[in-house]
Amino acid sequence: MKILIADDSRVMRQIVTRTLRQAGYGGHELVEAADGRQAHDLTISEKPDLVLSDWNMPEMTGIEVLRALRAGGVDVPFGFVTSEGTDEMRQMAEQAGALFLITKPFTADNFTDVLGPILG
Amino acid sequence: MTSPTTEDLQAITEQVWLSYLDPEGVAPFLPSEETPALPHVIAAVSVTGAWEGHVVMAFSASASQMAASALLGIEEEEVSRDDIADAVGELVNVIGGNVKSLLPDGSLLSLPHVATIDEGVNKWPAAVEVCRLQGSWQNEPIAISVWTSKSTG
Repeated sequence: MKILIADDSRVMRQIVTRTLRQAGYGGHELVEAADGRQAHDLTISEKPDLVLSDWNMPEMTGIEVLRALRAGGVDVPFGFVTSEGTDEMRQMAEQAGALFLITKPFTADNFTDVLGPILG
Repeated sequence: MTSPTTEDLQAITEQVWLSYLDPEGVAPFLPSEETPALPHVIAAVSVTGAWEGHVVMAFSASASQMAASALLGIEEEEVSRDDIADAVGELVNVIGGNVKSLLPDGSLLSLPHVATIDEGVNKWPAAVEVCRLQGSWQNEPIAISVWTSKSTG
């Protein structure tokens, strides 16, 4: 399986990578995107099996990426990893077709609970 | 209007340390009277809207370097200024996001700002401190404070 990690913070991409490993998903192929535009383009060219995306990013926000992908007919499983998780954001995410919204700080257990049903 | 407390900061900080800086539970953040001396690195996010103020972290230079090293999984000698800014900016962003979850709906979080303070000239002129958590991580001081607008606090 291929997982795309989109976050403009290299530190956060590293933390997500480490947490995936701790949660037992270290064997999957990981692709990184450093802004929203890159996340959108790499999702189309790399065809990941799952996208883990930050909300606030340069070029395109995470929700814009998701809406653009869905508008383009790309139905890749997509979830947010973000430092804020208001009801409004959760609602927007769900309406746009996101499967989940994980708030920071997260642990390996949080990842296992949420990603287990998707990654098996 | 309800403001965050030191106990709130302590609970949030414990979570952040367990998730990011001390996943093994061997190097926790230990509250103490210690506060980072100058020069130190500050990382701040502002809250605007229904509640107005700042969430500020201050790190000793060494603590900021250790944080970047731990978060990026690289040696301390390899840590660059950009790495430090990314690391402490992300930490204050996560802590600020969690503080914001305690605040009234309609509050917005700004992007993080990171600076090295060489002299005692760092001010938040329109705000008053509402709570502070200070202590050390691996013997290096770190302080976290929340400030609210003088007019809305």
